[in-house]
Order: sequence, then structure tokens, then C-alpha cells
Amino acid sequence: MKLLSKYNRVTLLSTIVIMLFTGIIYYVAIKLILIEDIDKDLAVEENEIFEYVKVNHALPQVFESEYQQIIFQEAKPGSVKREFVDTLYRNIPYSHHGRHHRHEEFESGRGLISVVTAGNKTYRVLIVKSTVETEDLLKIIFGITAGVILLLLLVLLISNRLLLNRLWQPFHNLLKELRSFKLSDAGAIALSETNIDEFKELNQAVVAMASRVKSDYTDLKTFTENASHELLTPIAVINSKLDTLLQTENFSQQQSKLLNDLYSAVSRLTRLNQSLILLVKIENRLVEGHQPVNLKAEIEDFAMQFEEIFNDKQIALKTDLSDKHLETNLYLVEILLNNLFSNAIRHNFQGGIVNIILRENELVIENSGDADALQPEKVFKRFNKSTNSEGSGLGLTISKQICENLGFDLSYFFNSGLHTFRVSF
Amino acid sequence: MKLLIVEDEQGLRESIEEYFAEAGNVCETASTYAEALSKVSMYRYDCILLDITLPGGNGINLLKNIKQQEYNDGILIISAKNSLDDRLEGLDLGADDYLVKPFHLSELRARVSAIIRRKSFNGSNILLFHEIAIDLMAKSIKVKDQAVKLTRKEYALLLYFVANKGKVVSKNAIAEHLWGDGIDMANNFDFIYSHIKNLRKKLLEAGSNDYIHAAYGMGYKFTDQ
Repeated sequence: MKLLSKYNRVTLLSTIVIMLFTGIIYYVAIKLILIEDIDKDLAVEENEIFEYVKVNHALPQVFESEYQQIIFQEAKPGSVKREFVDTLYRNIPYSHHGRHHRHEEFESGRGLISVVTAGNKTYRVLIVKSTVETEDLLKIIFGITAGVILLLLLVLLISNRLLLNRLWQPFHNLLKELRSFKLSDAGAIALSETNIDEFKELNQAVVAMASRVKSDYTDLKTFTENASHELLTPIAVINSKLDTLLQTENFSQQQSKLLNDLYSAVSRLTRLNQSLILLVKIENRLVEGHQPVNLKAEIEDFAMQFEEIFNDKQIALKTDLSDKHLETNLYLVEILLNNLFSNAIRHNFQGGIVNIILRENELVIENSGDADALQPEKVFKRFNKSTNSEGSGLGLTISKQICENLGFDLSYFFNSGLHTFRVSF
Repeated sequence: MKLLIVEDEQGLRESIEEYFAEAGNVCETASTYAEALSKVSMYRYDCILLDITLPGGNGINLLKNIKQQEYNDGILIISAKNSLDDRLEGLDLGADDYLVKPFHLSELRARVSAIIRRKSFNGSNILLFHEIAIDLMAKSIKVKDQAVKLTRKEYALLLYFVANKGKVVSKNAIAEHLWGDGIDMANNFDFIYSHIKNLRKKLLEAGSNDYIHAAYGMGYKFTDQ
């Protein structure tokens, strides 16, 4: 849920509740006041009747006036209790009355039941006044209140929307910056000016975090680079010592085996190290320059270069290549092709197949393999490799990074038993 | 041939010196920039093996210095920096070749031999090893004046052997020389065997002596002894 809707929901709901509550209180209070007023009038009327009866010892003449009726009824003494009641008022149209009623109708009214003794007879007195005016007044008041509530809500809604959108602008800008934030990019986060303290603080925190993360990342990369470079010299020494050792004569079979194992371990170490250095270099985009590349010719070269290895594993290589010319970095393209070829062979089985298809918009390399479908999201991760792989575990990471640098897209999928890597140009 | 090995890492320097040490070769060494500079300004060499990162200076400066003096020494840069820019810079400045650490000594030797062959090119581009004559320009060989048809890889293999004659060359080194870094997917090098077998057969059929010997299952030795 958006902050704005959440905020709106809360504010609007509370506004409505409070407004309704005050509306009700208002209504009740005004009604009470008005009814009290009417009750006072009724009491005055009652008093007049009492005065009249006191002086004349007879009931006054009953007449009907506007909004007021008096009815006398004979009653047993003590049976009537003085009380105010809500009752009905029978409205009889008057010719001079503003509102022309065609027939008699009942309106809400307020009555006072009282007792008067005239002569020796007891009468129940009912004085009724119409409360139509009061009701009208109340309706108007209520209508105005409701109107004000609606207007207020509308204003709140609109102003919230406008104001909040404007207020949150720095936040959205920051969010956009964070989304496009890349560790490998050199540029700092661009921040929009704001005079709101909270956003200022947020901006500062984000900038500080970004620069900290970047410097940590740079440190880490520098460390990787330095470590790899430092490793090169001892590896070179081991390598050269092995070559020298090989020149001494008379090895037993066991010694030969040991030497062979040493050789392959050192050569794996060498490749791993070189892969690391290469990866750091590509990630830092330190490999620049571009030239026309005839991809078809490159692939054919590689196919020839790897011919013996294909034959050795009895892998059937099928190629379907169209002409494709690119303006790109040849060095990186060669590494990419080398990695993809190596993978297709390394993870293949004896007598397997490799298909290479080059089209205007894509290069597809498919190979049979022992492994089931790999997880596409993991396959390009560093050091994610099959347990029996002799590779460095960096080949596909490097390939992915190269494609990223060159503006290609490298994807993996498993298609009818074939592991498929596709480079989309 | 006369070599100068400029390398600060003692272990590597000694290995190289030992590998090149044989009758007819003079190997001098330098472990610092200053030492290398003084040797270069006093003596001429057929080939200088030059490390880039040296105590007291950069090998590239040494290279510039040599080229400024217009000395004709062959220069092979051996560097831990496998960067295309470094490689190009080195070659632009007049280095003859660039080899990245770590390397096989046999590879180094093949490269040095190639440089010296190019430097000492004097009308003849024929490399002789007993009855085998290798025409470096035409990339063809003759045994006792009889042409032997070799594939590209067999030719490269023979040249590699001749450069490393008398040395045991490991299968790893051969594989990396012939197939480059792409070799890393092969966990055994049996496919090399067929190339060696074919080369040997072709040479023998042409009447050459048998110079190629398997060495303890680890590699091969090309020798006339």
C-alpha cells in the first residue's frame, strides 16, 4: 500500500468519524436548545391558561392559532400528570399562510399535557406547538455541516495528493538513484536539493553508505588483483622449477606420476589465477578498444584450433554459420569464444555432440552433457561448478561479464537434452 | 648465444639460467634495475629477457633506453602483467616478444630461439638439425633434401623440439604451445600423442634418425644422443 493511500485512509477516516461525531453532538445540542425554547413557550401558554382560569373560573375559549393548538378534555382528578410530550400537530391550512396546504396534515409537534380545574371540573389540557420550523432549521444546519465535511474531505484529499507528492519528490529521486546504483560505476549518487531535514539526513546517510560500500568494494577488488599478481611469481617459480626438475634423469614410474600430478595442479592454479586477474580487469572495464570482427571466421578458427580435442573425445561438431560482422573488442570476443567452446567440450561426454549456430542476432552453442539442466540463475555465479569439473569455475562468470561489457546478452537454457548458451547481439 | 636475464625473483632467475646453460651459451643475470642498466650499457646480448617490475625501476624504461641507444639486442619481456595494453606498449617500444608469467621454460626457450633466429637472419632462413632442414620462411622441411609434408601443428611441434633439443619437454608445455590457453578443458593430453606419433613416423619414413623419445610418461625429449 502506498504511503499516500495509507495516510489518506487514516486522515480521511478520522476526519469523517470526528465530523460525524461533532455533527451528531451539534444536532442533539441544537435540538435540545430549540425544544427547551418551545417548552418555555408552552409553559408560558399554560400559565396564561391558568391565569385566565383563575380570573374567570372558566376555560378560555379554545382557538386555533398558527402553530399552536389547545385542547381541553374533561378528566378525573389525579389521572393526569403534567408532562412534555413529542406528539403530532394537526396542521390546518390557512389562507394567509405562506405555505398553501390543500388539506389537513400532520406535522411533528411538541405538546404539554397539564391539568386545570375550572369551576369544579378537572380538565386535561393539551397544548401543541408545531416543530416544523425547528426541524427545518435543524435540517439546514445539518446540511451545511455535511457540506462542510464533504468539502473538507475533498480539499484534504487533493491537498494531500499534491502536497505529499511534492514533499516526497526528493525521496523518489533518491529511490531512482539507488535503483540505478552500480558498484562498478565510478560516479557518485546525484542528489536533488531538499530543505526537509528528514530527507537531508536520508540523503547524507545514503551518500555515506554508497561511498563506504564503493570504497570497500574497491579495496576488495584491489586485494583480489594484488593477491592474484602476487601469486603469479611463486607460481612461475614452481613452474620453472618443475621444468628444471624434469631435466634431471631417471625417474621411477611413481615419481613420474607425482610430477605429472604436480604439473596439472600447477597449471590449474595458473589458469585460476589468470581467470581471476582477467575477471577483475573486465569488471573494471580496463579492456578497451574495438575493431571489426568477423565472427564467422573467428568461430571457424576456434573450431579448427579445437579439432584434435573434439576428435579425442569423439565429439561431433555441427556448425551452421551465417556471416556476422561486429565492431567490437576482438580480445574479449576471443576469450568469450574460448570459454564457450571449452565448456561445451569439458562438460560433454565421450561421443557427444556440439552444435554451433550463428545468426544475424544470436550465437547459439549447444552441447550434450552428463549433467541435468543447470539452474540458469546460478550458472553464471563465481565458482559455481560441477563437482568433477577441472575448470576454474570462473569461465562463465567471465563470459557473462564480457557480454555485459560488449552490450550482448548471455543466457542459458536446457533444451531437449542439450545445454544451450545463447549470446544475443 | 649470449643472454641477459633481468629478473628480480631469484628462484625464477636461477631456473632460467640453468635451463639455458649449455655449451656455447653465455648467460648473465641482473636482479635490479641498476644492475641491468649497467650491464646493458656495457655489453651487447643476443637476447635480453626483461622483467617489467624490478626493484629500483621499471623494465619498460630499460627497454626505452636500449632502443634510444639503437642497440640491436633482441628483447623478450617477461611480465606478470597479462594486460593487452602492457603487451602492446612493450611491442610498440620495440620489444620482440612478450611472455606472461608463469610460463614453461621450454616455451621461453622457443621464443628466445625465434628472436635470435630473426636477429641473426643473414640471407639464410634454413634451420638445420643434422639431416633435417627447416625452411622458416616457407614453413616447410626437408630430410636429406627430400621434402616432407607436415601439418601446421606438426611443423610447430618440430620447431619447438628443435629449439628445446636435449631437453625434456612436458606434455603440458607442448599442449599449451600448440593449442594455447584453450587447452584447459583437456584433463589428459593423450591427443598430443597422435601428433608426436605422426611427426615421428613422417621423419623416419623420410630417412631421418629417430630423435623423438618419450620421457617417463611426462613428456618428450628431442635429442641426437
